[in-house]
Amino acid sequence: MEDYDYLFKIVLIGNAGVGKTCLVRRFTQGLFPPGQGATIGVDFMIKTVEIKGVKVKLQIWDTAGQERFRSITQSYYRSANALILTYDITCEDSFRCLPEWLREIEQYANNQVVTILVGNKIDLAEKREVHRQRAEEFAEAQSMLYLETSAKESDNVEKLFLDLACVLIREAKQNTLDNNESAPMPGEDPSLPPLLGSWMLS
Amino acid sequence: MAADNLPSEFDVIILGTGLTESVIAAACSRVGLRVLHLDRRNYYAGNWASFTFNGLLSWIEEYKAQQQTPSTTSEQGWNDQIEDEEEVVFLSSVDSSISNLEVFSYASDKSEDDELLNSPVVGSLPKAAEEMNGCHKEAQDLGSSSACTQGDGDPHNLEVKNQDSCLSEESKKTDQQPIRSPEQAVEVKKKITYAMLLKEGRRFNIDLMSKLLYSRGLLVDLLIKSNVSRYAEFKNISCILTCHNGKVEQVPCSRADVFGSKQLTVVEKRMLMKFLTFCLDFEQHQEEFKDFTEIPFLEFLKCKNLTENLQHFILHSIAMVSQDSPTINGLKATQHFLRCLGRYGNTPFLFPLYGLGEIPQCFCRMCAVFGGIYCLRHSVQCLVVDKESGKCKAVIDTHGQRISCSHFVVEDSYIRDDQRMQTTYKKISRAVVITDRSILPSQSDHQISLVTVPPLEPSSPAVRMVELSSFSMTCMPGTYLVHLTCSSSGSAHEDLAPVVSRLFHVPSSCTEESIQGSEENEKPVVLWAMYFNMRDTSGFENSSYNLPSNVHVCTGPDDSLGSDYSINLAELVFHQLLPDEEFCPPAPNPEDIIYDGDQGEGAIFEGDSQKEEAVIEGEDGSQAHKQHGATCSSEPAESTDSIGHEILTEYDIQSPPLGNSP
Repeated sequence: MEDYDYLFKIVLIGNAGVGKTCLVRRFTQGLFPPGQGATIGVDFMIKTVEIKGVKVKLQIWDTAGQERFRSITQSYYRSANALILTYDITCEDSFRCLPEWLREIEQYANNQVVTILVGNKIDLAEKREVHRQRAEEFAEAQSMLYLETSAKESDNVEKLFLDLACVLIREAKQNTLDNNESAPMPGEDPSLPPLLGSWMLS
Repeated sequence: MAADNLPSEFDVIILGTGLTESVIAAACSRVGLRVLHLDRRNYYAGNWASFTFNGLLSWIEEYKAQQQTPSTTSEQGWNDQIEDEEEVVFLSSVDSSISNLEVFSYASDKSEDDELLNSPVVGSLPKAAEEMNGCHKEAQDLGSSSACTQGDGDPHNLEVKNQDSCLSEESKKTDQQPIRSPEQAVEVKKKITYAMLLKEGRRFNIDLMSKLLYSRGLLVDLLIKSNVSRYAEFKNISCILTCHNGKVEQVPCSRADVFGSKQLTVVEKRMLMKFLTFCLDFEQHQEEFKDFTEIPFLEFLKCKNLTENLQHFILHSIAMVSQDSPTINGLKATQHFLRCLGRYGNTPFLFPLYGLGEIPQCFCRMCAVFGGIYCLRHSVQCLVVDKESGKCKAVIDTHGQRISCSHFVVEDSYIRDDQRMQTTYKKISRAVVITDRSILPSQSDHQISLVTVPPLEPSSPAVRMVELSSFSMTCMPGTYLVHLTCSSSGSAHEDLAPVVSRLFHVPSSCTEESIQGSEENEKPVVLWAMYFNMRDTSGFENSSYNLPSNVHVCTGPDDSLGSDYSINLAELVFHQLLPDEEFCPPAPNPEDIIYDGDQGEGAIFEGDSQKEEAVIEGEDGSQAHKQHGATCSSEPAESTDSIGHEILTEYDIQSPPLGNSP
């Protein structure tokens, strides 16, 4: 048994080129820019963090390029605890596509998924096309958290994942309180019914 | 979502995202080929797909639209890309693999309208409800046997954020909509209206094709071997039922079942155990069956002095072969069934959470992880064939772009009739039925059942039925999703409606005041039903098509319960492409990957040693399951009371434990 209290699956989505992979690689390995070839064959990245004495293992899934032609599989969204919806603050188009991504989330992600909107590439402030206030309002209207990051400068990247972990821990604890009998175990998808008894084949 | 051009050169282009094509894609990408994987549809998995309820309505609308508009081939804009020494072979732009589609809705649209209209979080439902009323009228006009057009198929019509967030904070605050968590659904039996089906539509994952996974079948073995299993979770089929003497009965198939059975006499229990024990290693007992190998299995069963009860169970529910199948096939099927017992619980079958449509997508994900490029809503107009070699060297896609490839793999439904050497094919009859309760009244509410229905008349087909509860994540709480499948002798409605009426209460018209929920009616009430036929070209070979030798055609789903046919075909095609490469070797476990930080590229996989701990979510999952007292854990074969476990010990030792051992 590994040494952690919670396991959460975090899934990144958003247009191609907004920096999803860079955010993950910056957080898990401290690298920028990531070696492009290195993501071949890598399904997800793992990082275990400790928050107020609670050990949380984050399993961070990237799109494997399927977003490029808008062909992400539905199964990618299943059992995600959190979604990081990313756009590029220097690319209006990546912001305009957000409603489309939200529709996919509504269709396929579980309804308790925590969604955070991330405006990446704030190191390119002079090229900014999407104003912070506009993004904040959009995020608020959709009940999403909002954060601006720079994977390149490592601005807010740590904060992004740690904030998410905090929210997820809080929700997991809340669910335990609300629903003592059927409390999801750490790492178990809280949306799945208790007594589910499903198998991971190995 | 940014517009982007496809690269112009690949090793293999694969058209169609059904199971066979997806497995081939994953296998090719895994060993380093550059794969382009396309599908003309806007969803994955072709005839293996699963849909939300609203998604299915869209699919039905698309089918109808296609029936009305004949296709035309346009060939502009790319003729200059074809050289003199090349010729083109067109592909079909329409999918004609589905036929005889009929839809019936019986769910009331009257009650709870008020509640829905007042519901604060439901945006555009009134519109959906109106259109549904429209459909209702049409149905009345045409009489009950006509297909009704239903609602607006656009899933986006229902912009219902938090529509079913039983536990989310928002809904706790407002707390006005009918909240239907699984637990509550049991206690409060509520009448399900059509509007509720629409509103909770995304809770449904309705498979076009219904299959189960044999726990020692080729698909399960491949999922484990390739590590594609990490993308999915599975649930056990909890019981096997059969329609016998007009009643639905449980089929005893584990040791505990046999000895606990109330239908069987003590003598029958002994007989059955003796016979099953024999089947497990029947090859060792040639003398028992050698005179019967080609004689019908039923004759063999009779000769063994098995009672009528036992003959029924073995023939229809364990071997699941037809009456006239030769004994050798019956014995093999029985043996396979028994060997699958106990690996993951008390029945031989698994079902993927969220539906069968997940499985092809899991293989597509694996392909993408290894660099495969994915593009839905994108097809191929024609192949570019080199006249001299007769080989396909490129394709022209639907945007008129020429993309070269060494191999082309394509699903059968993209092939035009004039390229077929064989124009007759079998069909599968399918019905999808949404009901208000389980067919076995005493069942707990989180079951998945397989029900075998022997031919009702001597001339009618044997039907298999899978009943899914909401715990399979394929239907909304308070409903059951029932799949009926058989090999066609007539239209799907002709083949399957008699079985549906036998086992369910079918309201006599769309307008009949539904009696769902009333206690005196024991049969589940049909809320909604759909019938269609699917083309079954399994058994076609490359010689069945007049196509270049490096074009490999994959057939859609076959009519059997498992997926062995499709997996075998995928492996065959893969080895035609790459005779010397391994088929789907294990993908590295992300937790075993060591990154060479400074160089920033070239992930190093920690040897090839596959660690035993390969399952990530299973570790804590198992803890959860134990805590909840469920029968499953991530330790396979823990069910000590199954025949499988006990008798199969020998088998377990002979074969490598599971999957990944070197």
